[in-house]
Amino acid sequence: MQTNQPALSVRNLHKIYPGKKPFVAVDGISFDLSPGEILGLLGPNGAGKTTTIQMLMSTLTYTSGSIVYFGKDFKKHRSDILQKVVFASTYVSLPWNLTVEQNLEVFGRLYSLSKKEILKRLDPLLERFGILEKKKTLISRLSSGQITRLMLIKAFLVQPKILLLDEPTASLDPDVAHAVCQFLLEQREKEGLSILFTSHKMDEVAELCDRVLFIQKGKIIADDLPEKLAMSVSSCKLQLLVGDGMKRTIAIAEKLKMPYQQENRFIEVKLDESQIAQFLTELAKAGVSYTNITIFQPTLEDYFLKMVGKNNDYKF
Amino acid sequence: MTISFKRVWAVFLRYFYIFTKLDQLADLFYWPVIDIFLWGMATVWIKKIDQDVPDISLFILTGLIFWGIVWRGNYEVGVNLLQEFWNRNLVNLFSTPLRLVEWVFGVMLVCLFKVVISLLFGSFVVYLLYELNVFTMGWSFVPFASLLILSGWSIGFLAGGVIMYWGQRLQMLAWMMAYIFAPFSAVFYPVSALPNWGQHIAWALPTTYIFEGMRSILNTGIFPLRYFLISLVLNLIYLAATIIFFKFMFEKSRAKGLARLE
Repeated sequence: MQTNQPALSVRNLHKIYPGKKPFVAVDGISFDLSPGEILGLLGPNGAGKTTTIQMLMSTLTYTSGSIVYFGKDFKKHRSDILQKVVFASTYVSLPWNLTVEQNLEVFGRLYSLSKKEILKRLDPLLERFGILEKKKTLISRLSSGQITRLMLIKAFLVQPKILLLDEPTASLDPDVAHAVCQFLLEQREKEGLSILFTSHKMDEVAELCDRVLFIQKGKIIADDLPEKLAMSVSSCKLQLLVGDGMKRTIAIAEKLKMPYQQENRFIEVKLDESQIAQFLTELAKAGVSYTNITIFQPTLEDYFLKMVGKNNDYKF
Repeated sequence: MTISFKRVWAVFLRYFYIFTKLDQLADLFYWPVIDIFLWGMATVWIKKIDQDVPDISLFILTGLIFWGIVWRGNYEVGVNLLQEFWNRNLVNLFSTPLRLVEWVFGVMLVCLFKVVISLLFGSFVVYLLYELNVFTMGWSFVPFASLLILSGWSIGFLAGGVIMYWGQRLQMLAWMMAYIFAPFSAVFYPVSALPNWGQHIAWALPTTYIFEGMRSILNTGIFPLRYFLISLVLNLIYLAATIIFFKFMFEKSRAKGLARLE
């Protein structure tokens, strides 16, 4: 057995919806997911992320290309492969008229687990995710956050090798979302779990993912480490608490064509790193006094905004 | 292709666990009782005003109980499929190792379970209210009931295939489809009562042979082997065709994405 074999290998994957004007939802994407890797799938709405995930779990057929899990073709070995690949999303539900326990029993059995195995794994997971007391509760009586946690329990119940997560923390409180991220990292360390992850929480993606794919209009336009993607955005933000000379500060920002936001005595200017010295020199020349200077390095969110063309939303 | 009994059993449990819910109990017990009461009283009244009508209560009520088997077969396929739409569980279900054929077998198993319960319950109510034994035809009942389940499944997979592709906007087919075939199946009256064009349709349906056969047994006590065999062959052809249709529509739906149905 090859040790370097990717857990998942996608090659030239296309999804074209036929019609008078055929719509290309996914346009020839290729990527690998290594064992133990956490790969983020980023992109604006309609970019093709969900379409890709749907094809990776066979609820949507692809037009051309190939999906290979553990060296096996997905089309030919769907059922065997899905024994080790589990999907969880905030946007799907579970039968609302079954209890938590019944749902998880049915789900576990779909992965050929015996009732004994299911019961053995169930309580520790329910306890870890803080819903043990809801074991006999109907799904219809759970909050959306509790259902999201249940979806994750459902995924971990079958001890998968690959986890496909579509916005797994979207409806969770920050503390619970953080605990979930910690659990994912723990599972990766312990079990060598590979995770393909979509989220709109950029800080979460930056924290969790080893690598990020940026998809736009069905194509992968970037594939790199999250920090490298962030650093590819040359602009940063400089925040000042201006003591005297706010009008002069604004005039300088406008003269240098730097977008800014002003609130009370604070001003935040968006500029290239190379322009920081020039800006501060101009302020000194104009006799502006300021304290509390803070420079914000670009983040993954800045990269996201730049790529989707929303980084011009500053008010002038 | 291997079929996993564990997954078939999982599908059975998924629908078995909702069996005790109020809406399910109403479907299983309330409506049959209402039907039996209404039709039973009607036949009692007809018999009172016309003493020459032989065993009309037994014919009508046996027909009613038998038709319940067809309806149940159709209903279980359609409504259990819809359960996944209503619960936004279709993507969950088919992103697991579950194969469509295993879902089909699981639903058939649930259906058999419910048919037995509704049959025994309906027969008991008929006996209780009218002192009639719908099992008068003896063991012949078993092969006929089995064929009726096959017919119900055929209708169910036909409706299910349409629902699988077009989604909830055609969900009424889960309840309606069986009734399209009811007038031509000679449930309560002989085929000869139908107009000529209707008789042609009737003899193309496997259900017709069973209801005609049922009356033949009640009248003569002789098992109509020919009717049984024709119905068996037609049932097998229709069931195979409708399951293939269901699978075809499932694949067409997967090409558009199952998530759109939720």
